[in-house]
Formats: sequence, C-alpha cells, structure tokens
Amino acid sequence: MYSTECVDLALSRAMAGDAGPGAVHGHAGNPACGDAVRIGLELDGARIAAARHQSFACPHATAAAELACRLAEGRDLLGAARIGAADLDARIEPPPAARACTALAADALHAALAAATASVQLAAAPERVVVAMSGGVDSAVALTKALAAGAAPVGVTLRLWVDPQAPHADRACCSPEAVRAARRTCHSLGVPHLAVDLRDAFRRTVVDDFVAAHAGGRTPNPCVRCNGAFRFSAIAAIADRLGAGRIATGHYARVERREGTALVARGADPEKDQSYMLASVPAEILERCWFPLGGQTKAETRAQARAAGLAAAAARESQEVCFAGGGDHRALVERRGGAGPEGEIVDAAGRVVGRHAGVHRFTPGQRRGLGLGGGAPAFVLRIEAAAARVVVGSRAELARTSVRVAPGRMYVAAGRVQAKLRYRQSAVWATVTPLPGGGFDLDLDEPVEGVAPGQAAVLYDGDAVVGAGTIE
Amino acid sequence: MIYLDHAATTALGPEAREAMEPYLSERFGNASEPHAYGREARAALEGARRTVAELLDCGPAQVVFTSGGSEADNQAVFGFCGRPLGRLVVSAIEHPAVREPAIELERQGFEVAWVPAGGDGVVDAAAFAEAVRPGDRVAAVMWANNVTGVVQPVEELAAIARDRGVPFHCDAVQAAASLPVSFARSGADSMAVSAHKLHGPKGVGCLVAREPARLRPLVLGGGQERGLRSGTENIPGCVGFAAALSAARSTADHRRAMRTRLEAALPEGVEVVCAAAERLPGHSLLLVPGIRAELLVLALDREGYAVAAGSACSAGDAEPSHVLLAQGMSAEEARCVLRVSLGAGTTAADVDGFAAALGRTIGTLRQGILPAA
Repeated sequence: MYSTECVDLALSRAMAGDAGPGAVHGHAGNPACGDAVRIGLELDGARIAAARHQSFACPHATAAAELACRLAEGRDLLGAARIGAADLDARIEPPPAARACTALAADALHAALAAATASVQLAAAPERVVVAMSGGVDSAVALTKALAAGAAPVGVTLRLWVDPQAPHADRACCSPEAVRAARRTCHSLGVPHLAVDLRDAFRRTVVDDFVAAHAGGRTPNPCVRCNGAFRFSAIAAIADRLGAGRIATGHYARVERREGTALVARGADPEKDQSYMLASVPAEILERCWFPLGGQTKAETRAQARAAGLAAAAARESQEVCFAGGGDHRALVERRGGAGPEGEIVDAAGRVVGRHAGVHRFTPGQRRGLGLGGGAPAFVLRIEAAAARVVVGSRAELARTSVRVAPGRMYVAAGRVQAKLRYRQSAVWATVTPLPGGGFDLDLDEPVEGVAPGQAAVLYDGDAVVGAGTIE
Repeated sequence: MIYLDHAATTALGPEAREAMEPYLSERFGNASEPHAYGREARAALEGARRTVAELLDCGPAQVVFTSGGSEADNQAVFGFCGRPLGRLVVSAIEHPAVREPAIELERQGFEVAWVPAGGDGVVDAAAFAEAVRPGDRVAAVMWANNVTGVVQPVEELAAIARDRGVPFHCDAVQAAASLPVSFARSGADSMAVSAHKLHGPKGVGCLVAREPARLRPLVLGGGQERGLRSGTENIPGCVGFAAALSAARSTADHRRAMRTRLEAALPEGVEVVCAAAERLPGHSLLLVPGIRAELLVLALDREGYAVAAGSACSAGDAEPSHVLLAQGMSAEEARCVLRVSLGAGTTAADVDGFAAALGRTIGTLRQGILPAA
C-alpha cells in the first residue's frame, strides 16, 4: 500500500510550507481525484536556494512533493531539470496505479522550473544546445544525435494551446501527456528537460490569426506562421537565457548558406521534407539551427529509435493544425467567433446557384459541402468575403498561371524558381517578378489548381528556400 | 497502540475463542456424516443456529450460515433477482457487497433504481416509496451505514416494500454489533450479518431469510444449508459466531458514553458528520476541513491510534466515498473525513488521548496545506 519511505516523506514537514517572497511557483492538479500540488522555488541566481511544497493530495503525491523539494533544493536550474517522476518513484515505490500521483509532484516541480526559466540568465556555454522536444520520435532521435556529437543538450518543450473541446485534446502534440513523454525521453538519456507554458501567447498569436484568416475567407497555413513568427523565436529566447548558442530540432530539413545568409533547404527524405513549414524562420535564427535528421529518412529515424530503445519509437505522428486536436478546424473557427457571414453561392457570371453557411467553410478547389445537387461538378473558384459570396465554376476554371504573393520576401535574389503553393503539392517552375512594396508576382510555367489566398508560397532554387510569402 | 476502528473489524472475544477451541481440535467432524464425529458436529452447528436465531429474532430454519457478510449480501441480491431480467431498488449508500452486485446486474441488463440519502445520512423514505414498484425483484437498504454510522428507518422501508409485494433485503453487518437487531420486527425478507464485526471469528456470517427456498443458490455442491449454501460447514466459525453474538449486545451504553466524551473533546474546527441523526453507539465520523484523511490516518498511526479514512483514495479508485457524495457532501470534504469506531474495551483515557493526538496531528499537517483555490 504505502512504503515506509512514502509514509516518512508524506508526514515529514521538512519542506512543507510556502516559499518566501519572490519565489516562483508551479502548480499541478489531477481533476479526476481532486489532488493538487504547488511547489515554490526561491532562486539565488540560477541556484535553487529553497524549495517548498503545499498540497491537498494523497500520501503518494504528498510524499513525492516533499522528495522533489529535497532533491531540488541546492541544485542549479539545469540540475533540477534532471529530476523526474522516475527519481521520485525509485524511493517512494508507488503501486502502478499511484504513479499518476507521484507524477503530479514532478509536474509541479517542472512547472516551477519553467517559471524560473523566464527569470534566469545562465553563463554562455559553447557545448550547450537546446533541443526542441515534442514528445515524438523525431525529436527523441535528434536528441540522441546531439549527445552522440558531444553536445550538452537541454530538452525544451513548448506547452501550446489546444482546443479544449477537441476530440483528442489529451493526445495533441503539445498536451500535458506529450510534455511528460518528452521529459521521460530526456531523463532516460540523462538530459535536463524544461517545459515552458506558452499557451496564452500561442493562442493570441497563432490561433487567433488562424481564426481571423478563415473568417476573412482565406486559407491560412498556421504551421508556417507558427514556425516563422512564434515557435523558433520562443525557443531562441529560451536558449539565450540558458546560455545555449545552438538550437536543434527533429525537422526533416537542412540549412544551406548562400551569400552569407542561412537558408532552409529540403531534407533528404522527399516524403517527409518539412522545409516548406520552416520557410519563414528568420535567417538569424536559422543561423543557430541544426536539423540532425535532415540527411536521413523517416524509416531510418524509426529504426534508430528502436535500436536506441527509445519509448518514443512507437509515438504517433503529429498532425497539421495541432491545436485543433484532431477535430474539424471549421468547428474550432466557429467556436472561437470566426464564423463568416452566410451568403450566396454564385457562378462565374454572377448567377445565384445556392446558399452557404459561412465563408470560413470554404477553400479554392473545394468540391464537397457546397450542397448544389446535380449538374456538372462545381468547384470553389474564389471567396469574396466582403460580399459573403462563394464563387463556383468548372474544374477547368480553377487553373491559374499567375499568382501574387504579398507580403513576401526574397531571401536571396532569384529569377527562375520552383514554387510550392501548398504543403501537399509538388513544386512548379515559375518566373519571379519582385513588387516595389515587397512581395512578388509568380508566372507559373504550368497551370495550378486550387491556389488559395492565405496559403504560403515557398520558392526553391535547387533545394534551398530562396523566398516565401503569403498568397494574396 | 489504541484500536479505534471497530467498524472495520474487531478482535476475537474470549467467549468466542473458548467456544471455538474444541471444534478446532478434537471435535473436527463433518456434520454430514452419520457417525459419532459427524453427530457431534451437527449438534454444535444446530445449537449455534438456534442461538443465532434467538438473538436475531428469527426461526432457526431461517438462518443460512455463509462465509461472511459479503457472501450473504451477494446471495440475497443475486438470489432474489435470478432470471429473467427485471428491476431492483437499491439505496445510494449501500456497502459495496450490495452495491457491486447491483452494478453487475445493471451490466447484465437489469434496471436499477438508486435511492438517495439526505444530508443527514438517512435514506429518503418518500423517494424510496416512489422508486419501489410491484414486480421489482428486491429492494435493499442497510440497517446502519458503515461510513456514517447512521441508522436507517428499516421498519418503515420494509413496510413500504411489503405493500408493493417486493422482497426487502437489509445489510445489518454494522448494526448487529451494537443494536438489538430483530429480524421479525424489522419486516425484512432477508438480512446479512457478519461475525468479525462483533468480536467473532473472520470468515463466517449468515443470511437470515424469511423463506430461504425462494432464493436461488450461489454456491452449488453437496447441498448443505438445505441446498442454499453448499460446502462443508464451518463448525468452529458458527459456534464462535453464536458465542460472540451472545456477548455483543451489552456494550452499547458504554460505547455511547465514550463517544459523547470524544465528541466533546474534539479540537477546534473538527466537525461531527451526521451528528443529529440516530447513529451506531460507538461510531463517530469526523470532518477535518482541508486535511486529507489518508494523511491523518498515517499520522495518527504514528501517534499510536488506529482509525480509518471515511473515504480512501485506494490505488486505482479515485472516487471519494459514494456514501458521502450521495448525501450531498462535496468531493473535497469527503476526502477529509475520519471514521472513529469505539469498542466495548475503549476507555476514557483512550478517547482523551485520541482527541489530544488529533489536535497535535492537525497542527503539524496544517503546515503545508494548499489553501483552497
């Protein structure tokens, strides 16, 4: 039931109480059983001068909170970031069903460490590299490669907002379970792990933007935006505070240098290449990036994970629009107030052929959900949000050969490029004409169907991304 | 170490031990055999049955010995329900030995009507009357609750069931230890009793049934207990049970006096749950706001007092006591409830010492409590 050690720790009040003024706090709760643990850390520079806990919890969780504080006090931030549920369980010896209770204390400690991360400044250490950990197999293997290369990695996971009403909110890539998986992977390799909670900032920056774009009848790509304007800069800021120069991630991409500029380039696995998603990452951050999986295939990664005995070898693939948690993104847009106005469906000549329930439900090239009944198949040609109109036509009318990209930017000059206008679409040859106010026009060598305003246009010269922007 | 957890189990009393001893050694016969050993065993068994029947106020033929209270409850619920599928009525505060069989029947397709209790811990008679319908297989409400100690209006409820022609089962496991339980007066159709709660041996109890033949047996085999409970009879157990039951009734006044003393000495902030209701005489349920009962139990154990959590988060079971939730207590409060159950041997020094230890323990544990959000 309870080990002697568990009872001793649970009844000991050695570390119990509220931490002093100026302490940072972490909180973890289990709604299923009502248990709650709060851990406070008093910092002296990067050193944890005191760790204290308060709880309303079962003996297992209370004992774990006491032990977590004893282990953390006196260590520096990165030393404490090596403490995990396994360290607590080794002494408390909970029955399997009570491991969720001891994990609560580990969660509370790590929440406090994340809060501490925001206020520390560690001295620069050349061998230190921040590895972005998602809880999945790719980042786990990237971490093993960083270790093999002699680096001193620190695993960092960003806890991001997930639609609480999503069907698989608990399994989404930035969920608490994913954070725990990432922490286990790091700790199993002796690597410190920090999970920084950026849910509010992510929702404001990425999710609200996604909703607003759909409400305006555009088809945004939240991943390109997130990587370009949120995730990488957040990780870079954490790396700065931890004194780490370099950032590694498990993306299938490479970094190429041209004319003194760092460019993202295609990964070696054509099936998994993620350079499109990274096309807007700023050059000064790319400069610091290292993609250890860029030269290999996903199959090789899985084999390496199995060979290394990583639990993450069996992890699910992450999904696009991670914050929809496997749900319908249209429902999410509606719940978050982004439902566009209802209106008419018209043909290219302006004749009304039907009605629709909101422009946010449509994207160019879409054929389903129009509810137009018989006749020749109709496709969405474009969305006129201001008039709440969806314009439909035949498949032939979908094809386009000229596309305006604005805002957009050429990272290095190029005239002839291969342009990719959606993630799951092959690139086509195009000629670039820069626009005076930034952005550029593309003349496509062959027609492309379903070009959608809001999507990212990514330009390749060879394997390198030489320009990117948003389709107007 | 002071034992204040008599609702969980009790020590074997001297009366029971003495009565049992010969049947653990030289009088070891099988009551089904016609030889001298068997006849001796049979005589002891039937003697025990007569004693138990007399003390529980029923006929000897109505006593079916079982392996304990849980078996007796299971036998009653499953035995009355049988087949085909039908409907049963169960109170929301039953012991798991009744609750779980009802849930199992629900899984099998039976309809179960759960009757709530009020904030005072008493099952709502009006709701019970509304729930019980002619044709129901059984209606079950316990005599006294094992968590709160609150005594239920059994006679009133049994009469309601009888009016509708529905058999009434009563779990009297807690009540029989300290109340003058009368099967005949209760109006119940069946009743479960266990020996180890009243200083008898573990592993024996009985089901009292108005018409045992109506029940469908759970255990088949050699046809013992008139075919209702096969298996060679537990002669020392039955003899010990009868002896313990004979000795049990005289201690209620003492227990009640000790409880009054305890409840007057409680540290500030500790509340008595269901204090206004009629309770088992030695039973006191204490709410210690903000402090988890599991921690209090461990801390009091270190102080030398054995008490129970009213609601333990046992491994894998995150639910606070269904009994306390059913009578309207919040989940958070239900996790802060301590069950103290006094016995015949509990002294004034025991309860005074316990009250003081509880005060010290609360003082220590209070440091490190997470204030409610």
